[in-house]
Amino acid sequence: MNTSPEIILDCRELTKTVVTGSGKSGAKPLTILQPIDLQVKSGESVAIIGASGSGKTTLLSILAGLDLPSSGEIYLKRKPMHTFDEEQRSKVRADHVGFIFQSFLLISSLTALENVMLPAELANDDNAKEQAMVMLEKVGLGDRVDHFPSQLSGGEQQRVAIARAFVSKPDILFADEPTGNLDSKTGEYISTLLFDLNQQQGTTLVLVTHDQKLALRCQRQLTMESGRFINQQVMAEVS
Amino acid sequence: MPMWIKQSLRLFRHELKRGELTIICFAIVLAVATVFSLSGFSQQIKSALVNESNSFIASDRVLQSSRPANENILIKAQQSNLQNVQMLLFSSMAFAQDEMQLVSVKAVQNGYPLRGELLIESDNGPVAMSAPSEGSVWVEQSLLNKLKVNLGDSIELGAANLKIAGIVNKEPDASFSVFTQGPRVFLNFNDIEQTKVVQPGSRLTYRYLFAGDKADIDDFDLWLTPQVEENQRWYDIKSQQSPLANALKRAESFLSLASMLGILLAAVAVSVASKRYGQRHQPMVAVFKAMGASKSYIRNLYLLHWASLSTFSIIIGLFVGFVMQYYALQYMTSYIPTNVQSSYWYPLTVAITTGLLCACAFAYAPLKELVATPVLSVIRGFNGFTSQARWQSVIPAISAVFLLLLLFSQNIILSVVLLLSTAVVVAILVVFGRLLISLGRQIGSGAGQSLHLAVANLKRRAKQNNVQLVSFTIAIMLLLLMLVVRTDLIDEWQEQLPENAPNQFLVNINESQVPKVEEFLQANDLFASQLYPIIRGRLTAINDEKLLKKASKEQEDKSDNGRQGIGRELNMTWQQQLPDENVIVAGQWFSSEGKKAEVSIESKLAERLNVVVGDELAFQIGSEKVRVPVTSIREVNWKSMQPNFYMIFSDGVLTDFPVTYIASMHVPSVSKQDFQQFLSVYPTISVIDVDAMISQLRTVIDQVSIAIEFILLLVVVAGSLVLVAQVQASMEERERELAILRTLGAKGSLLRNSTLLEFVVLGAISGLLASMAMEIAVFFIQLKVFEMATSFHGFYWFVGIGVGALFVGSVGFMSCWRLLKLSSLTLIRRTL
Repeated sequence: MNTSPEIILDCRELTKTVVTGSGKSGAKPLTILQPIDLQVKSGESVAIIGASGSGKTTLLSILAGLDLPSSGEIYLKRKPMHTFDEEQRSKVRADHVGFIFQSFLLISSLTALENVMLPAELANDDNAKEQAMVMLEKVGLGDRVDHFPSQLSGGEQQRVAIARAFVSKPDILFADEPTGNLDSKTGEYISTLLFDLNQQQGTTLVLVTHDQKLALRCQRQLTMESGRFINQQVMAEVS
Repeated sequence: MPMWIKQSLRLFRHELKRGELTIICFAIVLAVATVFSLSGFSQQIKSALVNESNSFIASDRVLQSSRPANENILIKAQQSNLQNVQMLLFSSMAFAQDEMQLVSVKAVQNGYPLRGELLIESDNGPVAMSAPSEGSVWVEQSLLNKLKVNLGDSIELGAANLKIAGIVNKEPDASFSVFTQGPRVFLNFNDIEQTKVVQPGSRLTYRYLFAGDKADIDDFDLWLTPQVEENQRWYDIKSQQSPLANALKRAESFLSLASMLGILLAAVAVSVASKRYGQRHQPMVAVFKAMGASKSYIRNLYLLHWASLSTFSIIIGLFVGFVMQYYALQYMTSYIPTNVQSSYWYPLTVAITTGLLCACAFAYAPLKELVATPVLSVIRGFNGFTSQARWQSVIPAISAVFLLLLLFSQNIILSVVLLLSTAVVVAILVVFGRLLISLGRQIGSGAGQSLHLAVANLKRRAKQNNVQLVSFTIAIMLLLLMLVVRTDLIDEWQEQLPENAPNQFLVNINESQVPKVEEFLQANDLFASQLYPIIRGRLTAINDEKLLKKASKEQEDKSDNGRQGIGRELNMTWQQQLPDENVIVAGQWFSSEGKKAEVSIESKLAERLNVVVGDELAFQIGSEKVRVPVTSIREVNWKSMQPNFYMIFSDGVLTDFPVTYIASMHVPSVSKQDFQQFLSVYPTISVIDVDAMISQLRTVIDQVSIAIEFILLLVVVAGSLVLVAQVQASMEERERELAILRTLGAKGSLLRNSTLLEFVVLGAISGLLASMAMEIAVFFIQLKVFEMATSFHGFYWFVGIGVGALFVGSVGFMSCWRLLKLSSLTLIRRTL
């Protein structure tokens, strides 16, 4: 029997409005996200592309449970994130979510190994260290485990960040411009690494990028403009 | 072990190793070390000063009484582990063959003196002794001259015949009153009975001397003070009205003040550094949160992190403080007597409390904001702390600082003055700072490119600069405050004790000897006061009210050197001119024309006797009665080393009475021998040597001055740390700005000059504001704490501005040097 993959992320009518300005001109509401519907299946890779200010980063923040929508519903692993407080969302993130940031956000005082161990430790994984070692080997930094971020190049730092994102085997990985701070050659290498690992681990990937090339490696591309999707391209069916 | 403990300790270990906690640790270390070394150091200096000065009362405390004190007091003293000896003082006639002389007898028990030394002449020079053996006396050299006797001869004192067994070289608790009644005779306490001079109605002074550990003395003091009777007086060196007591009190206040300034600065450094600590950890907290760490997890992690950091810093601080105190005291050993008992409990307790207070109060707000870092920052970036929690951070910090000041100084006035002046500074700073910066911008727009950019930078960072401005200003203000107060205080002391301060008093100069004395003074070119005629007389009535009762009460309950005069014979003089150090506060000084009978009375005595200008005073002088109206009331500086009088008559009133003269003079050591020789020709002239007291005063000044150098050093270190911490806090933003300016093609020299100028301008503004604040603080400190005349310190305004520009400019520039040296590419890579 052909069972269709589980919907891991389900958004219905998501909107985000913020209040800007104060004082003489008075407060003005600004709509960042128009009502958005989105379903992501388990194992799927989705790229959200769009110009600056189109709302893609805001959407990523809400999808990842870092922020709350102004209205609408969002279910991550069937959990109603829109009704959760910060602590509950933290728990969901700890159990199911991985992150890769544009500026790497490695903890400068911890070694590469310790940075990678962090999420596994937060999930109370007894084998955090071993798993982190394995992941660093996979990203080709097995000989740099004791180096601090400042001793690594940008590309190496992002590889550590990728290892960190995958170490706790998250169900879904959110990446915010993962190659945005890298030169094109390194960016290429990083994106290959990211997709390879993603495939190996069968992780769902949602990434936000300007980089068309990177976006095209995803199974689905969603283009945003003025807070809404304007088209969807599906590269391949998820089997 | 919970994971947060593991992670927290790991983070702490790495950060410590990598030097990321250096500034915050250094700030806490400095606060703790400053408090430890200063409280230990100043405590030891104070106790050394007091110990040494206590030799002037031959003990730590004295109970003086006109009747024997209750036995219980001595029993309690023994129970309190205090040493005690008794003395009896009285005046009596001493006879030797046909000669007789009024002498001041001091009958002492073995063990006297408890502090200081009683030196008796011997063949091998002066030797420290306790009490003469029974049946013998020690006397002053002048008595031998007056009675025409030699060492080994006998004198009669009352009914006793006593052998002169020694000559007194130095008596620790000698009276500095220039009107002492005759030469000193030391008698063994057990011989009192034999003399039979103690009869009902005899004028006797009982003195009970006590000495021991400070804590025991303090306990005893608490027990005894409520029981002190009307005819008794319970005092220590500081309650004496003497220049020494005064210098001691000020020295103590100053040491406290200076140390408090150091502590205040160290606290500012902790405050600045802990804010920076919080901001620097924000990305970590956001990443932790993004990875699903709960708020309580992060709170625990950072509480432990902060606790580890504080504990580590406090321990290092205690160690550093101990070493600093050790070496400071080593350095001072040549100035401090070696018998100083050092206790580390007090400094240890105060220092640990300081560390904890700083760690808790200053970390509260930054830690709270840190834990509250929004998780969204991982996407949106970090904008530092919002200032919403301003009051939350200010109130605990101010309370902590006040507690610290109070804990350290135990002086509410000093603490409030310091805190208030600092608060006023902060308040006016914010207003003035902005005003000056915007003024600077206008000036800057017409100036060169570098200055223009520097001022634009200042203006743009107005909010951060306000914080920097406040810290810099406080640092500079505290530095200035210390310099100014130190200079003022030492100047005042020096004024009080000029090089040629009188060190000898000549008393009992008779009229025929006056020209000889004047001749001697002139021949030896000695600096001397004029010769004051002295007439002894008794104040008998004010207007028509007889004074008997009033005066005798005064005599009993007040036994200060000054006040003893009233109730018995007063030493009075007459003068045409108002003597130096005397100021008329009511009425008018004698008019030069005519020979009207008038008298001028000292203001405190006038107040006590309720005498006003216009009252008529009656005096009994010998067998004569004199009535004169009071035409003026004078304030007298009793601290001045010159003869001072309660009553000064107009010229002509007393001229018919038999008179002796008194003079004070400075005899340099080279002239001492001539001086002795001169005196040996006139054995009836008495001399009072106050050299010992003067050298004691100088020791106080020297010791305090050296202590101040040490504290100044600490204050400078603390001030620099505040600057470095502040500059560090703005480093990331500067890095970004430099990257942008470099990218836009700004030349290295332009960036260097504008950075330097930015700090110089900021420093100069801070210096100006600090000078203003210093002036206000000094005004109150002079007025309320030191009780001295207030003054303006224009010169220090220039120092403040100069030091501010130089100090902030160089420290800021040096801190940024690393950044300025980076190539454009590196800068851009690092920041983007």
